[in-house]
Formats: sequence, structure tokens, C-alpha cells
Amino acid sequence: MGRHASADFSMGPAGVESGAQTKRGRRPTIWETLTNERNFRWTLVVPLLVLLVIFAFYPLFYSMYFSFHDWGMQGSPVFSGLRNYRQLVHDTTFWVAFGRTIEVLVICITIELLLGLGVALLWNREFKGQNIVRGLALLPLLVAPLTLSLLWYFLLDFNFGAVNQLLGAMGFDKVYWWAPNKALFTICFITIWQWFPFSAFVLLAGLKSLPKDVFEAARVDGGSSFYTFRRLTLPMLSPLIMIIIVLRAMWLIRLMDPLFGTTRGAVNTELLDWIVYRTGFVMFDIGYGSAMAVVSWAATMVLCLIMFRQLMNSMRAGR
Amino acid sequence: MKRMIAVLLCLSFMLLPWVAQAQADKFGLDDVPKIQNTKPITMVLETGEGYSRMLPAIEAFTKKTGVKVNVERIASSGVYGKENVELMAGTGYYDLVYVETSWTTEWSDYLYDLDELANKYDPGKAAALQKELAFMAPSILMCGKAYGKQMVLPFYTFDMCMWVRQDVFDDPTEKANFKKKYGYDLKPATTEKELKDQGEFFTRKKGELLKGKPLTHDIYGLSMQAGAYQCNDETSARLWARGQDWVTVVRDDKGNIKEFVITKANKEALKAALQDYKDELKYDSPSAITANFDFVVAQMGNGNAIICPTIWANCTVWADGILREKVPGAKIGVYPSPGGRPYTGAWSYGIAKASKNPEAAYWLLRYLTSYECAQIIFKEGGMVPARVDLMTEVAKDKNNYPYAMLADYHINIWKTMAPHIPNYWYFNTKAGGKVYDMQIYAVSKALTGEMTIDQTVESITKQTLELTSKFDKIPIREEK
Repeated sequence: MGRHASADFSMGPAGVESGAQTKRGRRPTIWETLTNERNFRWTLVVPLLVLLVIFAFYPLFYSMYFSFHDWGMQGSPVFSGLRNYRQLVHDTTFWVAFGRTIEVLVICITIELLLGLGVALLWNREFKGQNIVRGLALLPLLVAPLTLSLLWYFLLDFNFGAVNQLLGAMGFDKVYWWAPNKALFTICFITIWQWFPFSAFVLLAGLKSLPKDVFEAARVDGGSSFYTFRRLTLPMLSPLIMIIIVLRAMWLIRLMDPLFGTTRGAVNTELLDWIVYRTGFVMFDIGYGSAMAVVSWAATMVLCLIMFRQLMNSMRAGR
Repeated sequence: MKRMIAVLLCLSFMLLPWVAQAQADKFGLDDVPKIQNTKPITMVLETGEGYSRMLPAIEAFTKKTGVKVNVERIASSGVYGKENVELMAGTGYYDLVYVETSWTTEWSDYLYDLDELANKYDPGKAAALQKELAFMAPSILMCGKAYGKQMVLPFYTFDMCMWVRQDVFDDPTEKANFKKKYGYDLKPATTEKELKDQGEFFTRKKGELLKGKPLTHDIYGLSMQAGAYQCNDETSARLWARGQDWVTVVRDDKGNIKEFVITKANKEALKAALQDYKDELKYDSPSAITANFDFVVAQMGNGNAIICPTIWANCTVWADGILREKVPGAKIGVYPSPGGRPYTGAWSYGIAKASKNPEAAYWLLRYLTSYECAQIIFKEGGMVPARVDLMTEVAKDKNNYPYAMLADYHINIWKTMAPHIPNYWYFNTKAGGKVYDMQIYAVSKALTGEMTIDQTVESITKQTLELTSKFDKIPIREEK
């Protein structure tokens, strides 16, 4: 306070004349009030808070309100207590979708990380045409996920798809990529194909920033490549790996586009957000859909909090 | 010769007034009176080339009446969500709403009773409207009623049918081989047993013979749409064929609905229907489990399948066009789906109570469902209207393939279905739209093996009870 008080021309308690007048005896303008040293931090934060309240907290609390009501958009919502939550507890379809979402999360993150790390290690070496290769690798990230999934849907079509045509030309049997026992993996494949370059680029940036002298010392001490990778590279990359895990986990829990473009939640591919969407916005069972959304949100929060704690630990250890 | 020409001329002059009178009896654009309220109106028209043929007619309406019509193009799968929000919120954004008949009761609080509008705006009052309805299929009109009131009028129908490759069914070698193997004549299936036999018989590998010629690719006996989109319509057809329904509508002595009951017979029929469907998937492409109607059209059109047991008849012109191009000499035959009670319904138009110009909306609705527009949508768009008068006329010219065949099919199936429609559950509940969407997923889970048939039926029963209790005032229970 003391540091700021001498320069305070504002209306705060430390300000003179109940904040109504400046030193020169005139009222400060709104601009002066908002930008003085005392208020400026709040001036910066308040718009964001307002947006958060409008677009995040209000819908969230409204959703919670609806979850205790029955409403199909006709008339007013009818209070139903815990009925929607009771229904949810016994809804096997929802819990299967929940479990399946975790499965997708584990598969996609693991493979994206492994592939990303492998590619980042390759890219970390100097080679001809490296800029072209990296540029091409960016392409999947630049395409809208829905467009990409539609593209893969046609490529993998049983009768007419290019992939099966290619397999046929090579003498193999056609594969029905959307069969109930394969469809979820096909969805994962599309997702991984699009997103593993993200991991690769983040990890490449990490590799480029690693201190060279440490690796030089390890090499002088006779450490093998695998040893330095396991004992030096991986630990130093771990904060970045955790960031990738946290970000991808948050995005994957909300995975919708590949379902829209391909199976629309059929053949064992119904995921958490899809079931919320179809209950709330296709069937318009708003109350029950909201209850699902609230549970989904709570689960995501718990998951994210756990991972954030891991991330912080890993960053502290890295420091 | 001169005498003959004179006689013909006389006859023509005698018939001319009669023909003109017959046409004059039907409502047309010229009969739209001066509209007082000329505020622009907004309507939904499905996306797709066939429906685009209606745009000039809508422009003609504007020219005649001075009422601008904003046409919003929406894919049919997006109509419910879009219109539901606008109707429930009472925004009045849509004046003319596009209604799948099973939503009529659900939306009835938000739509005008058409007799009410006729009494207000039609010089001939409700009687004029009723006179026009006499030209339309009674079974389809019934789908568009809620609590006995006509809420919507059909724009085009989607009665289901069964397609068979007529050229294959008529082939003597195929007939002889079938009879030799199964001991009875090859004819369009009327039972599930016949359908399974035929599915098995026609499922063949590349190199095997069809009509005596080696196949250049695999073919499947059947083509169905077991994807999570509208496999419930196929299941309805199978349930109705068994004389059952998803839910039984119970009425009192006066004919008013007393309650809905999911009976044991309903559940058993559903289990049997799903089992049949699952068994028949053996004779279908693996892609069937994610297929929708466009896939079935492609399968038939490309000569990859011989029978589509449950498909909307309004897709016939489309599929037939592809088939004749891809497989020279091939031809589609249209028959009732096995059991003879195919799923019935229509895309219709109703008028939102929140409309700011119900007068113009009423006249546009009358025009869009008139004989004039029915001709456009049938002959140019390939969709099947619900006009008995038009169908009767087209059916007379037996050489007009596939239109005459389609017209003939519809005249008969409308008669067959008329007694049953009023009591089908979809057309009597306010929860119809919601349950319909739930069933799409539930049924597909049984067909792909994600759930067993018993689990699926249990899940459908539970969800139907929950949704109907929430969204309909008529009580529902399960018969234990």
C-alpha cells in the first residue's frame, strides 16, 4: 500500500477527499480511475471474470438447476428432486460410455506420447528436408476434426474405401473397420493420427531446450544412449510430458467430432460427451441430460485436479 | 373418316368441361384469395436436389400473393432440434413448420388446428379444407392428427416397402434353383421365414452365377439399415407385422385414451423382431450395422444386394435411377414389407401458433399440399405425395415405370394401413419424438451385439417408461 499511496490519485480509502477529487481538485475520469496503479490489476481481471460468469459459471449453475428438474422445453421445468441422479446411477449405457471414454483417453494419450516422442527424437537430428517434413506433419492439426473424420470414414469404407481397395490389390481380405469390435480403435486411430504431431512438436521444443553440457558430460562418463535417454532426457522432459497428458486428457474427455463424422455413437463407440449431447440436444430430455453433464463435469474436474497435482510435482522435481 | 373425326371432336368437347371441372374441384394457386397480411413468412424445406424443384412453385406463390417466403434448407436429421427450440420458445421464427408425423402430438400445443385457421381465413370455411382432404390418403392424414384434430398436412410420404430385384426374381434359372433348394416358388417374401431363405439363397461370392452369368463382385441377399439412425422404423415394421407395437394404447368406452401399457406381448414381439433382424444380418454386408437409407440405396443401385426388406418407398426413384445405369436390364419391384404392415408416416407442414402471419402460412400450406405441388414433388422430385387423386391417375398408365408401380403400391398400402394407424403409439403420445430418438440407439445396440436382445428390450422398456412419465400426461405402466 505504502509503495502505491504516494502516487495514488484514485478514489480509494487512501485517496484524498473520499476519492471524489484529484489533487488538482477535479474528479478523476473513468479512464483514470480504471488505469491508476491501485485499480489497474482489477481492470485487467474484471472483463475476464465477467466473461467467465456469463459463459462458464452461469451455464454451469443453470445446468445444475436443470439437473433437479424435468424439462423437455415445454412449459416450465418441473422440480423432480434427485430423480435424474437416481436414474443416472442405474443407467448402464451412461456408465459404459464413461468407462469407454477413460479407455479412449488411456489408449490415445499413451500412443500419442510414444509416437510423439519417437518422432521428436528423429526430428531432433539434422536431416535434409526437415522443414518440409515438419510442415507436412502440421497438416493434420490444421484440418477441422470433423472434416478429417469424414475423410477417414470414406477412406475406410468397406465397399468403396481406398484402404480396402489397397488391401484387396495387395491380396488381403477387406476389413470392416467399423465393426463393433474395431470401431472404437478406429476412432482412436483417427484421433491419434490427427494429434500425435502436437506431442511431437511440444517434445521437440523440449529436446531442443535441453542443456547440451549435461549430455556431453554423460557421454564423457561413458553413458550409453539408452542410459542418457532414460536417466537424463526423460526426467528433463517429464514436465512437458505431464503438460501434454493434462491438455490431451481435457480435450479427449470432450471428444465428439470423430463420432459425428463416423459412427454417431453406434457400434460400441458412444462416449461421455456424445451421450450428454444426444440426451440433452437430440432427445431434449434437458433435466436428465443436465444431470449427466454435471456428473461428467465433476469427473473431469477430479481427473484434472489429480493431473495438475502431478504436473506441479513433476515441474518442481524438474526444477 | 371425317365422321370419325367429328365424333371425336364432339366427344372431346363433351369431356372437356368434365375434365376442367375435375381439375377445378382441386385447390390450386389460382384459388388462393387475396391475403390481407403480407408480412414475410419463413418455412423449412429439406436439403437435396429433389426438394429444390419446389422453389419455383414457392416463388409463384409469392408472385401471386405478394407474400415473401423465406425458405430455410435443413437436412431432415436436423429438423427436430432446430424447430423444437423455436416452437417451445415461441419465437415465431418459423411460420410453416416441417413436421415428422410422429411429432405431431408432441407439438400439438404449439401448432394451429387447421380447421380453426380454415374457419378464419378460408372463404369456404372448414368445409373447403375438408373437401380437399378427401383427396388425401386417410392413413397419412391420421398420422397428422392430435387428439382428433388435423394439425398438419402431408407434403410427401415415407411409407416403407420392400424392394426386390424384379429382373432376378423373374429369371427362370433363379426361380428353378430356388424351388429346387427350398421346395416352394420364388416370390416376394411375405413372412420372415421366406425372407431368411431368400437372403441365404441370394448371398453369393464373386464368380458364382446370378441369372446364369458369373458375378464380378460379391452380392448380398439382403440390405438393411441397422445403423444408429432409423433402424427403429424397420423394427416398427416388424412389430406391426406381428400385430404388436412398442406400447399398447388403451382406450375407454368413449374411445378416449385411458393409459399406455407396455404389455408382455409387446416385449415378446420386440424380442422376436430383433432376433429376426439380427439373424437376417448374416445375409447382409458387414457395413449394414452402420448403414442408413443412403447406404441401402447404394447397395441396391450398384447391384450389390437383391432385396431390401424395409425401405422408404420414396427412395425408389432414386435407387432405380442408379440401378438402371449401373446394371443394364435390372429393375426394382416394390412390395409390402414381410408381414404387410410397413412403417408409415410423412413429412408434413403445420402452422406455428407463434406465427406472425398465420393467414399467409395457411394458404402456403394449402398450396404446398395441393394437387399442383404434389405433381411437382412426385414427377420432378421423385418423392411420393399423399394425394390419392394423383396416385390413381398415375397408376392407370402401367407403362410409366417406376411411377405407376409406386402409385399402385401406395394406393393399396394406404388402404391396408388406415385401420391400424389411429392406435399406434407414436401417433398418440407427446413423448413420441423423444422415445423415437432413444430407440434409434437402443435398437442399434441389440443389432451390433453391444447389448443382448433381452437387455435391449429391458432398456427400451425402462427408458420409455421414464420419458413418457416425464413428457406425457397420459399414464404409462409396464405389464409385469
